[in-house]
Amino acid sequence: MKEFDCVIIGGGPGGYAAAIRAAQEGLSVALVEKEALGGTCLNWGCIPTKSLLHAADVLRQTRDAEALGVSIKGVDIDLAQMVKQSRDAANQLSNGIAGLMRKHKITVFKETAEILGVGQVGLSESGELLADAIVIATGATPRKLPHIDCESDRIWSAREAMTPQFLPKRLLIVGAGAIGVEFASLYSALGTKVTLIEAAANVLPAEDEEISTLAKAALSEEGIEIHTNTPLDALSGKKQLQAEFAGQTKRFDACIMSVGVTANVEELGLDRVGLMLERGFLEVDCHQQTSVPGIYAIGDVAGVPCLAHKATHEAIVVAEVIAGKNPAPLHSERIPGCTYSSPQVASIGLREQDAGERNIRVGRFPFYANGKAVASHAGEGLIKTIFDADTGALLGAHMIGEGVTELIQGFAIAITLETTEQELMETVFPHPTLSEAMHESVLQAFGRPIHL
Amino acid sequence: MPKEIYLVKVGMSMTEGMVSEWYIPDGGAVKKGELVYALETEKVNLDVDAEADGIVKHLVEPGVMLAPGDVVGYIYLDGESVPEGPLVGGAAESPAENAEAEAEPVAAAPAQPQPVVATINPAEPSGDGRLKSSPAARRLASEIGVDITRLAGSGPGGRIIERDVEAARGQSASSASVVPMKQAENIHASPLARRIAAERGVNLAAVRGSGPGGRIIQADVEAASSQRGSNVSGAAPSSDSGAQRYLPGQSIPLKGMRRTIAQRMHESLKETAQLSMDMAATMDDAVKLRTQLVKEWEGIAKPTFTDLVIRAVAKALREHPQMNSQFQTDAIELMQEVHVGLAVAVPEGLLVPVIRHADQLTLQEIAIESARLANAAREGTLGLDDFAGGTFTVSALGMFGVNSFTPIINRPQSGILGVNQIYDGLAWDGDTPVKTKQMNLSLTWDHRVLDGAPAAEFLATVVELLSEPYRLLV
Repeated sequence: MKEFDCVIIGGGPGGYAAAIRAAQEGLSVALVEKEALGGTCLNWGCIPTKSLLHAADVLRQTRDAEALGVSIKGVDIDLAQMVKQSRDAANQLSNGIAGLMRKHKITVFKETAEILGVGQVGLSESGELLADAIVIATGATPRKLPHIDCESDRIWSAREAMTPQFLPKRLLIVGAGAIGVEFASLYSALGTKVTLIEAAANVLPAEDEEISTLAKAALSEEGIEIHTNTPLDALSGKKQLQAEFAGQTKRFDACIMSVGVTANVEELGLDRVGLMLERGFLEVDCHQQTSVPGIYAIGDVAGVPCLAHKATHEAIVVAEVIAGKNPAPLHSERIPGCTYSSPQVASIGLREQDAGERNIRVGRFPFYANGKAVASHAGEGLIKTIFDADTGALLGAHMIGEGVTELIQGFAIAITLETTEQELMETVFPHPTLSEAMHESVLQAFGRPIHL
Repeated sequence: MPKEIYLVKVGMSMTEGMVSEWYIPDGGAVKKGELVYALETEKVNLDVDAEADGIVKHLVEPGVMLAPGDVVGYIYLDGESVPEGPLVGGAAESPAENAEAEAEPVAAAPAQPQPVVATINPAEPSGDGRLKSSPAARRLASEIGVDITRLAGSGPGGRIIERDVEAARGQSASSASVVPMKQAENIHASPLARRIAAERGVNLAAVRGSGPGGRIIQADVEAASSQRGSNVSGAAPSSDSGAQRYLPGQSIPLKGMRRTIAQRMHESLKETAQLSMDMAATMDDAVKLRTQLVKEWEGIAKPTFTDLVIRAVAKALREHPQMNSQFQTDAIELMQEVHVGLAVAVPEGLLVPVIRHADQLTLQEIAIESARLANAAREGTLGLDDFAGGTFTVSALGMFGVNSFTPIINRPQSGILGVNQIYDGLAWDGDTPVKTKQMNLSLTWDHRVLDGAPAAEFLATVVELLSEPYRLLV
């Protein structure tokens, strides 16, 4: 029986980061992963889709290049190459994680694990491990709609959607969260007629309403047919799918289900230690500890938002807690979110519709008044900032437009450092950059923008 | 390169001072940390230790009055050439600032009474108000619980580097003289925290930061401001403990001021033969007098009952020199001067600044000085000289409704007087009970120095003076 200070179940961005941080603190660490290191994010999520979406962006740019005076003829799509490139990126990074595990002398078990008791983990092949601390980082799996029982290889989850064997002519995407919108944007760019339906009132329902509305308009302009307030009523067929929604029946070549995720806790043995799910996820305290001492949970399995960077941050917290430190807990309102559609959407913190009675000031600055955006044909965009009118605290920022996913970290730093509008105003933003629109949005919130 | 030896600045009010004695002769070798010279200022005598290994070069003779920050000598290595006067430019761009970076006073000289809690000299912030320190130094300081704002920097331009923090760790372990106190201008707080503090009138120096590296964040200020309402504010220098948050299950590291207090108090109980007695003073006239004086001195001073007690104590100590003394191995030293320490509660613990020559000050002067000291203690701006030389201590708990307690002697002093609340008591006018204002005074003294009778005589004098308070005005 092998003994470790810390056994981590799941090798995604939560699990592997926790393993590294714990090893840095001098703990002996075992990591159990049944598939590839890097988890969903790296192998079947963030990374390969970014590769595909980049290809889509290049495609869009070549099509729009003529307006810039660059004429490109005979643009063609090689779907297999696109997918291969995305798989290469994922594999390269997964191998990198394996190298990091070796570097930090982390013992990796490529099998499944279950919790036998507090401090005991059973492996499917390598027997039993003893651990002072167990970290559950098993992630989540795409949710299925309970009333849809149609079996067809044309009904895709994200995993199939990012490794298509063919390009569907008509594609139905159910769920307009970040994943649904990204696939809508991808397939639309590749020439597919995309229909996007969403049960909630807005696309990207987690975003600020104003941004959601702008996103819907921009996606519609791309040729995506969008139905909000529209649940999927029925789905049938094998090679040809018939979908019923909004009182109509339509035919599709494929359907992507992106209606959220459920925690991966099957066969983990949670009941042996008395761990229960709360609203589908494991409940943890600010130190990622579950209701059972010595058992921790991080990442998607520990609840929304299901984002890789949230998992990684929780991983750092949990590793330091296990190492006996007292790390600052993660503030959920300080977790940024990004959608890599065209246009991109990025946000952090308070949404305007949630401000309620709070006395806020809202700043808005459009890309059309930003020099870099105009010069580089960045298209439309908006940067919106929300301040506490009493204290000047930056409460939230919401962006839509080209490149905004790389901008949002500026406001993330500002919120984390508790800056007020004054320091943001005093910050010199380089010219010409899109980031100047961030500055102007702050200035606009206080009635003193320069270029508006 | 030769290192300058500066005339160390030991307090805000220090304008001049001198080398009263060179411990290392001209041309003599010194090791880092060894005493180099004795500093004498108007208020204190301190020993200053060497900042580096090398050979000492004297530039000034003992007894020459200089300004703080003046170069008094050099420490050089064999083969290095030494300037005959102070270096100009280069590393020594601003001697007054660097003075504190280059030399550290060690604990007060043996002849001088020790303050309950000493402090090492704070590094001066640079022109823009920022304390220069390296990230590594800040991290280490937070890890080992050293308040970086109290350190002298030895890096370029006085920047505090890891080595300085390490050195402070050594020093804090050996002499427990590193006190975490925030300099008002060096407070590490987020902009938002600063703004909210300014709006709500929260004193950031009294707020404990929970952010990275002890940074004060919004939540800390909000917690402090919401707790402030319930604070007790008394007539005497009061406690401002609202910022302190103690939670059940929390483990409070024994470091900084807490550690110093723990050691000093325990040592005091171990080393002395202390015992306490209470005596009641009739305060009717004192209450009236104080009310009149508060009105009359409006805008100048606001005397507290503790101020009246300090004045009474100072006068009584003159009459009873045995109580104004130090117990030493083979003699009891009766002190020449009367310097009364005043215990002030701060969020981190307790500080005892000293009202110097209290017997020569008028009540109004005492009121002004005690208010200044209490304020400076809470704002963390006390200088080393504000702590030095106490010969007796007064500690007030009356604002909490306390009627009697056994204060612990602040060694090497021989006595401490506890000031309790004023309450409605009874006196007899013939056979008729009369309502009267009374206050107990709780005296702890060292039985090795004096016995019960002389101690009671001292306490009776204090009580008498408070009962006939007009004598305090002359």
